[in-house]
Amino acid sequence: MLSSLFSTLFTMKFVQTVIRLATPIVFAAIGTFVAASTGIGNIAIESIMTFSALAGVLGSYLTGNAWVGVCIGFIVGICTALLIAFFSMKMGANAFLIMIALNTFADSVAIFTLYQITGDKGTTASLATPILGTLDIPIIKDIPILGEILSGHYILTYICWILVILLFILIYKTPLGMHMRACGLNPDSARTAGINVEKLQVFSLILSGFFASLGGVYLSLNYLKIFSKAMVSGQGWMGIAANGIANGNYGVLLLSALIFAIFRAVSIIFSSSTAFPVDLVGAVPYFSVFFLLTLVSIINYYRTKRGKVEEE
Amino acid sequence: MTDKNTNSKYSKKYKLSLTNSKLFDAIKMIIAILIALAITFVILCLVSDDPINALNTILFGPLTKRRYIGSVIESFIPYAFAGLAAGVLFKSGGFNLGAEGIFIIAGVVVAAIASAPVTTSSILHPILCYLGAMALGAVLMIIPSFLKAKFNTNEMVVSLMLNSIYAAIASHIVRTYMMTAKSNSVASKDYLATAKIPYLYEPYRISICLILLIVVTVILHLVMFKSRLGYQIRLSGSNPKFAEYSGISAFKLAISTAAIAGVLCGMGATTHLLTQSSFYTPSQSLVGIGFSGMLLAMLGKNNPIGIVIAAFLIKYLEQGTAVLYFVDKSVPAEIVAIVEGIIIMLISSQHFLRRLREQQLLKEGLEEHAE
Repeated sequence: MLSSLFSTLFTMKFVQTVIRLATPIVFAAIGTFVAASTGIGNIAIESIMTFSALAGVLGSYLTGNAWVGVCIGFIVGICTALLIAFFSMKMGANAFLIMIALNTFADSVAIFTLYQITGDKGTTASLATPILGTLDIPIIKDIPILGEILSGHYILTYICWILVILLFILIYKTPLGMHMRACGLNPDSARTAGINVEKLQVFSLILSGFFASLGGVYLSLNYLKIFSKAMVSGQGWMGIAANGIANGNYGVLLLSALIFAIFRAVSIIFSSSTAFPVDLVGAVPYFSVFFLLTLVSIINYYRTKRGKVEEE
Repeated sequence: MTDKNTNSKYSKKYKLSLTNSKLFDAIKMIIAILIALAITFVILCLVSDDPINALNTILFGPLTKRRYIGSVIESFIPYAFAGLAAGVLFKSGGFNLGAEGIFIIAGVVVAAIASAPVTTSSILHPILCYLGAMALGAVLMIIPSFLKAKFNTNEMVVSLMLNSIYAAIASHIVRTYMMTAKSNSVASKDYLATAKIPYLYEPYRISICLILLIVVTVILHLVMFKSRLGYQIRLSGSNPKFAEYSGISAFKLAISTAAIAGVLCGMGATTHLLTQSSFYTPSQSLVGIGFSGMLLAMLGKNNPIGIVIAAFLIKYLEQGTAVLYFVDKSVPAEIVAIVEGIIIMLISSQHFLRRLREQQLLKEGLEEHAE
């Protein structure tokens, strides 16, 4: 029993599961990353994902076209990001408080909207929603191992990896990206150099909302195919944690998002077995985030400490 | 000349003006509430057939029955404790969001003590429940704050992950060690009769926890505004660099505020469980209180008395929407979240109504200059 469980960890199916589970976490991670690049800690990722997951399903249901649903999903995500920008920059509110408030009542607002449209407080399972499908890549799908890994995923997974590459180019290879990073490193110097810091920060928040909302839309229109209460369940926070571990390093960002996805996959596989306590197995991904984040910060602490001693 | 001077000072002190920051805050709050109610009314117009009656029920419904008033008072106390805990943490500039998980895991301790025959005294038994939950709360709340203060770990993410971990542990402990055979859901055994908290005023079912809340709020108010610790907390919250240069140990402060917040969470969890249920269900009993506490702290501007008032008002509104949902199924109780959200966003906006205040300041300045 146990050995069969462990053997499932080394199959193609497991790799596919990890790629599927990694998509929303990677979306959340690049969403946090792009906001952090201009010095904004966007902790509202979780609520943006919730809002746009619901908006995506409802848009798809009302218009009968899944791609319109995706568009409505990211419009809602961008609007949420603009709301944060409005209150924190124009109205002088503490951005963290606004975002904590958003996260806290996101579920209630979603349930309220859901109830008004479906009469159900839990899921959109009763709605006949057009959803997005999977994509088989023509030639690659026939290559033995590579085909199984690369082909047959959900469409938004491919969009996710394309956006990962585009974001890399934007941040590291264009003047705009350099200006954004300058805002993050030292806003005052950037301002002195003639960069419009506030404008770039709003821009990065919009991008952040866009990425996070695609993560939410992926969950509701591609992966789970419905919206259900508390479906984001910490995946936005995993993206934020990945950004915390990465500390500005794009490769580490993607790697840690992938590690969290692996732990989620392990947790899902092991929860099907009765050999482990079901509650504790469910918490494995959260524990992995806690452990990795703490470990990395302790390592950084001792590294800077040693660096200081050596300087002296 | 001197006479005129004192006279003008005297008159300024008692003049109703927006330049008085406390009064300005109060006016801002009232306008925020009115805007929130107006938006609520718009939403009600969209979803309900009889919006005027619906708004009327939300605002005055809780006063129509004795049971409703009792329910508001009984249910707001744990939320007020959660709000006080979050207020202490926010005031010190920390973003430890661990209250939610601590409420849930403290519930396990309360349920374990309350359902075990540890003592025959009906006075000692609830006190033991309180002490157990408070001790655990303090220890667990310190973890994220310690990691932040010592290693600069992202306390927000860590505390949120710990919330999920604690919820899982609580569910695991109750499932494996505390479940009774009779129930299908994961729930603890019934509490013993000795663990019940006596009523302060039986007809309204108000328990003596209300007195506990008042005492704690007064103590917290004194600590915050009259003690050295409170001064340090406020200083490091408003200007951490200055606090550091004036020799305040950020590390010690983070640990002590987290401990206070943890103790308050323990109190809230015990109060909720012993007054509102006869057994503990990890997936239901205490879920959401910790997060609501953070919103209450924002509503009350991290001021202990403000938080308690905010908790009462929000619970009153929630009771109102519950009454409304009872008569009109088209409006679910979640509408409170929308009201709450709008108020929070408006009152935490420092520039909200700023122009009005600046105009008044300018006018007064010009008048003074003319004198």
